[in-house]
Amino acid sequence: MKPLRDLLDKQAEHFEEGGKLEKLYPFYEAGDTFLYTPGEVTRADAHVRDGMDLKRMMITVVLSLQPCILMALYNTGLQASLAYQNIGAMGTGDWHIWIAHALGLSFQPNDVLSCFAIGAIYFVPVQLMTVAAGGLCEAVFATIRKHEINEGFLVTSTLFPLTLPPLIPLWQVALGIIFGVVIGKEIFGGVGMNFLNPALTGRAFLYFAYPAQISGDAVWVAVDGYSQATPLAAYADPQQMDFSYTWWESFVGLIPGSMGETSTLCCLLGAAVLILTRVGSWQIMAGVTLGMVGSALFFNWVGSATNPMFNVSPAWHFVIGGFAFGTVFMATDPVSATATRGGKWVYGALIGVMTVLIRVTNPAYPEGIMLAILFGNVFAPIIDRVFINRNIKRRLARAK
Amino acid sequence: MQNDSIKKTIFVAVALCLVCSFFVSLAAVSLDEIQKENKRLDMIKNILVAGGLYDPSVDVQAVYENKVVPLLIQLDTGQILNPEDYPEGIRVGTYEIKKMAVDPAFGRPVDPGEDIANIRNRPQYIFVYQVMEGDKLQRVILPIYGYGLWSTLYGFVSLGNDLKSIRGIAFYEHGETPGLGGEVDNARWKALWPGKRAFDDAGNVVLSVIKGQVDPKSAKAQYQVDGLSGATITTRGVHNMINYWLGEEGYGPFLKTLKQGGGRG
Amino acid sequence: MAEVIEREERAIEAPSSPPLTAKEAKSLLFTPVFDDNPIGRQVLGVCSALAVTTKLETSVVMSLAVIFVLALSNVSVSAIRNHIPSSVRILVQMTIIAALVIIADQFIQAFAYSISKQLSIFVGLIITNCIIMGRAEGFASKNPPMHSLLDGVGNGLGYSTILIAVGFFRELLGSGKILGVDVLHLVTEGGWYTPNGLMLLSPSAFFLIGFFIWIVRAWKPEQVEED
Repeated sequence: MKPLRDLLDKQAEHFEEGGKLEKLYPFYEAGDTFLYTPGEVTRADAHVRDGMDLKRMMITVVLSLQPCILMALYNTGLQASLAYQNIGAMGTGDWHIWIAHALGLSFQPNDVLSCFAIGAIYFVPVQLMTVAAGGLCEAVFATIRKHEINEGFLVTSTLFPLTLPPLIPLWQVALGIIFGVVIGKEIFGGVGMNFLNPALTGRAFLYFAYPAQISGDAVWVAVDGYSQATPLAAYADPQQMDFSYTWWESFVGLIPGSMGETSTLCCLLGAAVLILTRVGSWQIMAGVTLGMVGSALFFNWVGSATNPMFNVSPAWHFVIGGFAFGTVFMATDPVSATATRGGKWVYGALIGVMTVLIRVTNPAYPEGIMLAILFGNVFAPIIDRVFINRNIKRRLARAK
Repeated sequence: MQNDSIKKTIFVAVALCLVCSFFVSLAAVSLDEIQKENKRLDMIKNILVAGGLYDPSVDVQAVYENKVVPLLIQLDTGQILNPEDYPEGIRVGTYEIKKMAVDPAFGRPVDPGEDIANIRNRPQYIFVYQVMEGDKLQRVILPIYGYGLWSTLYGFVSLGNDLKSIRGIAFYEHGETPGLGGEVDNARWKALWPGKRAFDDAGNVVLSVIKGQVDPKSAKAQYQVDGLSGATITTRGVHNMINYWLGEEGYGPFLKTLKQGGGRG
Repeated sequence: MAEVIEREERAIEAPSSPPLTAKEAKSLLFTPVFDDNPIGRQVLGVCSALAVTTKLETSVVMSLAVIFVLALSNVSVSAIRNHIPSSVRILVQMTIIAALVIIADQFIQAFAYSISKQLSIFVGLIITNCIIMGRAEGFASKNPPMHSLLDGVGNGLGYSTILIAVGFFRELLGSGKILGVDVLHLVTEGGWYTPNGLMLLSPSAFFLIGFFIWIVRAWKPEQVEED
């Protein structure tokens, strides 16, 4: 590894102040610290030593997302193959299918490898587009503001594609991530200053700007022109759709939906990693789940003859839609979530309750978790403030 | 005089009110005629759009007067009223469905069991419009309304002279989501309607607005209209609206009257 | 409101008796457009800016109505400023504003009916538009009519600038049109442009106004507020 270190050090002079590539320092720094630990270390006498810096934290999140990514690849391919089998041979109007044919892939649901490969044809371009467009924004802001490209983007750019349907047009992917990075983060001053989760902000933008490409029932299965509702939508509207998935299929994630959020199982694996490494707050995850169970049971108890969503059990709420994904990876985002211990429970419960409330009572937007988390993000500072003030009062009382 | 004395305060207040009310009344009274005329022309325009007669380059007033004959009908019985029998308070130019539906004298609540269009109240008397070409009936334009996703959609549907096929549909007021349910205003979607058959040979309403696209090869294609993509609930609202208003609870009795040759003109 | 009060003091210090110099007139008229924009800097009158800007046409009509009301209310309040009992000051201003708004509404209904249908209650709600009350109370009640007229028109122009800019982008990006004329060929009509539905929803105006403030403050950094 020594030659690499030397190479980097030799290049450093061009990027440091006064060098001819001074403006591009953020790129150099990003590359350098991605490969090595940062050059600046604390030198003062006493300080807490902990291996957990922001970069390691972000990398842990990305690692915890790996099961979801694998599932995204497999399930996207699987759903496409199933649909392809169902409607038989079809035209090659969609470029994904054209590529699949060109690579000699056959749409065989039983062939695991081919499912992965087909899934990759859908997922990889979305991922690349996210990194390219979002990364460009990050770089522009980093250059103008003369700070380093932050690792936060690594997480944002990994989360964002997973929340999208497979047939999303790539230009919308670009617009969504740009909006998320700029409006959700940069205008507030960059990583750490944002009060909204940038990936969710981007998705919410797409959701309201281009609802036809991110809702409804024609976008979830990666074969153009094939309609298949997500189980969540099917639940909300049993008059027109038949519901044919079992709870276990839904739990494992072999259902249509946004690419990375179908599998509750993979999200639980991710949750285990996040909780064990203490990167994600278990209080928030537990709070969301409790809020969801409580409000779902409440609606079950109230009941409704006309709205079938009232009767969906907590167990089903748990496995359909993006509930698990949002709970584990989005709600726990340390920047936009609450930081106080009590605040985490309140914040989590608020999100859980809002999720079910939106799912059950809103006729237009069956998926509630995205809006619920953004709603929770907005309230997080107030919740924290209440808890901090309470603590201050308690301690003052003790001091008297 | 002291500014804050009671006398001065009252004087300023009264004088100001008089001056303001004078200007406001002047504006309201002098512009009243024009405003009423605007409302009437707007309604006429909507009727012409639904009937497929609207052409921005032609005077709507002239087209309307030459070709369109308004008929006041009693919805429950399908009976057509002569202009001299119009109930007090109902006139062509000033009739508003919204007000009539909830007016205790002219509207009635709809039985929840029959209320598939989710309208709650409906007027007892309603104006329908016949489009004439000389003496021959060309089309009948029927006002319809019903609930979509967020709002009540108000519009017209027009039937051809066979009283079975659709000639056009247009909504003039709604608050559906732009880009989804709001696509009821899309000219391409509206163009799918003309020529569709609303009734089967036995006279039952069979037209349906389906989810997704109509398979042109299907035997049912002539009874089906594409749904609005991504707008399941608005689509169902339009479907229910058509089925309610063209059915026995809606214009069924009136269409029967027309078929039996009861139409005037 | 802090902004308004500050400006009001500045105005009082200035020699408030006519004649009005050309420089003063220019400043009264154009300061509110960029330097002290009622929406962008004073953050007043935002509600209507969200509601009526889905189309350029409605934005323009709304702007004209606001300029009309603002100019005349300022002149009227200023003309009788020395006779208004301070106890009923706000009531007097409200009455004048309300009367002007109703007159404006009647005219729009008579001469721009289809637009008045789209503007619906928002013309009437000009009464509650904080810019108008703010200028009447903060400026017109202390300055001579000519100054007040220019101040009213100037603030109206500031409001209009934002309204029209927002309306322009919302209509262009949300419906692919400008003043109802097709500019971007829509996918639903066989073209290439997929309209951005967010632009047709009110919150998009927040984003656009935010961008506008961002651009202006990047251009004139002295407007950036201290933390």
